[in-house]
Amino acid sequence: MKIVDRIVNWARLKSPWVIHFNTGACNACDIEIVASITPTYDLERFGSLLKGTPRHADVLLCSGPVTRQLKDRLVRIYEQMPEPKFVVAVGTCACSGGVFNGCYSMLSGIDEAIPVSMYIPGCPASPDAIIDGVVKLLKEYEKSLKDKK
Amino acid sequence: MTLYLIKILIFPGLLFLFILSLIGEYYDRKLYARMQNRVGPPWFQPVADFIKLLGKELIIPLNADARIFKILPVFACVATIVAYLYIPLFSKTSLLPFNGDIIFVLYMLTLPTLSYALAGWYSRSPYALIGSTRVLTQLFAYEVPLFMAVLAPAILASSWSFSELITFYQTHNWLWLVNILGFIVAMITLQGKLEKVPFDIPEAETEIVAGVFTEYTGPLYAYFRLAMNMQTIAGASLVAAVFLPFGFGSCLIVNFVIYILKIAFILFLLALMRTLFARLRIDQMLVFCWKYLAPIALAQITLNIIIKAWL
Ligand code: SF4
Repeated sequence: MKIVDRIVNWARLKSPWVIHFNTGACNACDIEIVASITPTYDLERFGSLLKGTPRHADVLLCSGPVTRQLKDRLVRIYEQMPEPKFVVAVGTCACSGGVFNGCYSMLSGIDEAIPVSMYIPGCPASPDAIIDGVVKLLKEYEKSLKDKK
Repeated sequence: MTLYLIKILIFPGLLFLFILSLIGEYYDRKLYARMQNRVGPPWFQPVADFIKLLGKELIIPLNADARIFKILPVFACVATIVAYLYIPLFSKTSLLPFNGDIIFVLYMLTLPTLSYALAGWYSRSPYALIGSTRVLTQLFAYEVPLFMAVLAPAILASSWSFSELITFYQTHNWLWLVNILGFIVAMITLQGKLEKVPFDIPEAETEIVAGVFTEYTGPLYAYFRLAMNMQTIAGASLVAAVFLPFGFGSCLIVNFVIYILKIAFILFLLALMRTLFARLRIDQMLVFCWKYLAPIALAQITLNIIIKAWL
């Protein structure tokens, strides 16, 4: 059984499929996320693919400080993703609210709505930082698996 | 009997097709990446994707019909494997030859497409529903030119069976070159059958999320992907057997190498098409198939009938 677990974990580390969701960003972070999947940066090196539906994805890339309107939808999308799943908050807004902090129509950060596994600061976060963040997330996951043993 | 079972289950049957389809996916993705000046995925990528999907949680939507929802991916896989068993790969006869197996294989390769459509229908999700209507609409567009293109060489050989067709082209050296128009039509329609760019209308990510596969998670989606990959290999083998009927000599190893080269060539053409073109709209696709491809295929048939009168 142990070997099977090992193989599955290896496969999970090697093929993180992402889905991108705009939770009320000013759009700059979204453009950077989209830029990071262009041929110049080539996320497919790490086995990453951009998927259209939460049902196929492993990593949810959120940008923006969750507007109150969007909160229910964000939770619903999160719950539609099959386990194991990770959430990455891209941009300062997604981490802490950023310039929108304290705004009447906004929460301050993704983690007020759903659990976040990795924060990537930057206004906007550059594609390099996003790729670095996703790779670090995978490394952390690997380490946590090892610690569990 | 045991030999038969080994042939069906291991080589050149189930296991061989499974491995070849994974290699085919890697080859396709790597070529696609290289043509875009990217590095592309590492060699184990399709295996990692497959295992990861198998290890994920399985979610079945509440209003979906659970039983059919679960059966359809397996059904698509099985239909493709069965079709593959009837195609001659590197010997003149397939595993289970009979008269009329060309038509049988063509119909067997239609079944996965139908199961995609049913999968979209039984998911009870609006995106999947739109996807499944698009799958069916597209099916009516490419299926007729594909059938006509594949049947043209068979008309020249006046036989519906693979082995007789190959024997015919072996006795008439270089005669297969007259089928070049049909080959082009078959390649384009094969792209439509495999639902890849420019004919990936049924699963257009930017429009309808993931089309018919929107609600499929984990293992079931893995089987659908596998069926898709195997369909690529089976379709390429079909085109190779019908349009490139050479390299069926006496030495099996040479034949095998030639078979792999043929598949590589056809997959290369498919990847090239995927890189060069952007997605069409469904109505453009219909017009293209019926206005241009079908007449070209018809011209091929006419040409073959004329040549046949000469022979
Ligand atoms: S972090 Fe900056 S760039 Fe990103 S969404 Fe917020 S304000 Fe826009």
